[in-house]
Amino acid sequence: MSMTLYHGEPNGPSFTVLAALFEKGLEADLVRIDLAAGERHSLPCAQQAEVAMSVEGEGPVLVVDGEGMADSIFIACYLDEIGQGPALRPADAYGRWEMMTWCRQMIERTAPAAAYLGCRAHPPRAEVAMLANIGSTDLRLRWEEIGAGVFAPEKLADSSTKITQAAEKIEARLDGREWLMDAFTIADLESYAWLAGMVRLVPSAFAGKPRTSAWMADLKRRPAVARVLSLATVVDPTTSWAPGPEINRWG
Amino acid sequence: MAGVSLYHWEPNANSGKPMLALMEKGVAFTSHYLDLLNFDQHKPEYLALNPQGTIPAMTHGKLVLTESTAIMEYVDEVFPGPRLMPDEPRDRWRIRWWMKFMDQWLAPSFSMIGWNVFVGPAVRSKDPERLKAAIERIPLPERRVAWRKAIYGLFSDDEMKESQRRVAVGIRMLEDALSKREWLASDQYSLADVNGFNLAYALPLSQPKLSNDDLTPNILRWLRAIYARPATKTCWAMGKTAMVKRVAILERPHIGKEPAA
Repeated sequence: MSMTLYHGEPNGPSFTVLAALFEKGLEADLVRIDLAAGERHSLPCAQQAEVAMSVEGEGPVLVVDGEGMADSIFIACYLDEIGQGPALRPADAYGRWEMMTWCRQMIERTAPAAAYLGCRAHPPRAEVAMLANIGSTDLRLRWEEIGAGVFAPEKLADSSTKITQAAEKIEARLDGREWLMDAFTIADLESYAWLAGMVRLVPSAFAGKPRTSAWMADLKRRPAVARVLSLATVVDPTTSWAPGPEINRWG
Repeated sequence: MAGVSLYHWEPNANSGKPMLALMEKGVAFTSHYLDLLNFDQHKPEYLALNPQGTIPAMTHGKLVLTESTAIMEYVDEVFPGPRLMPDEPRDRWRIRWWMKFMDQWLAPSFSMIGWNVFVGPAVRSKDPERLKAAIERIPLPERRVAWRKAIYGLFSDDEMKESQRRVAVGIRMLEDALSKREWLASDQYSLADVNGFNLAYALPLSQPKLSNDDLTPNILRWLRAIYARPATKTCWAMGKTAMVKRVAILERPHIGKEPAA
């Protein structure tokens, strides 16, 4: 079985999947694409439902036997299941439930906020012709709003709040433990992936949170993570952003 | 074996997911019915169990679990009975993808329409002061906004239009997926089907112009196949509201283009 991973700069969802791949010691053909230019929408599998309609927005795509797989948390679960390296999910069912609920909070609350703030600070730029390829109407709208510089003040404020809440949750969680679950898991990768770029954009959220800072530093020292970060083609990959999951429409 | 208790509303949407999963697995559980329309889920005795005030919640011995889709994966892993996740890792990815797509993108649109036509009107007649106090007690700010909009009918035309657009897109996607496979996300009945049935069981009644035997034959085949399962029958028989009894539409052998009477 051969796998091809189309990924962007090692930030956000591309970070999670690349790190899971390397942590598990798996091999895949790595093809870098410019997510911030909308290049994902010109891939041969771009119109497959699971790629076009991924709730994650602009994330990496793993192609296995011609099937495009999207949504970084679930790709990471897949890699964990097929790889031989140390498990990236807790060993017991309750621990796995806890990890999945943690990741759900990340992708539904934290990721939309991070992508919103990230895209405002470092706007992605896609050609009009590329935008026309986007299968999801609401994702295309998010691109158009970013292109037009439309960022609602209430959404910006709420996004900063969400980042602060995520940092508070992590700081509390790390009391007496090294990683977010009992061992290193996908929850660490996914949380770091969305928050690494927020340290500079919402510094107040991370001020006075020594456990969170130490956790980020520990994570970066892992050999697999260092290898991921070495793939960056820009000086600071945490400045690379593309439209992420949408901010919840209601409740 | 440690006992299982489920705190749930109707066999519908999030509450129905762990109900049906437990029944498919043949796991006996103590049912605690919380009347969503009476705000039981925001009362102190339930908040002591789940401070977020969301339903469903499940206890297994001393463990407390929330979040319906994550509960289903736990139920499938921990209890004996028919497997609701296939062995093939790529199938498992696809099942998780579809559940996420439904939970985060499609269900909120169905739900907005449902709350506008069912939940909102059902509670609006209550005493205004009691309603106000009930909203104030909701722990999650996002849920407070949702309830306020539903109760006072504050969904804008644009919001409703967008929800209807998404429902139409979702129906096309479901039909397309079910034209390729017998079940939604794999070749065997799985948690994705449990999840999807909770979302779509009344589809030919709620969206008669978009889903019927002529337009979406595969969705109708799928819904009837799930409804025919003994666990589904037992589960939906626990329903108390007219909303849930709509499932009987699936007993009709043919539902054509004409709106159902």
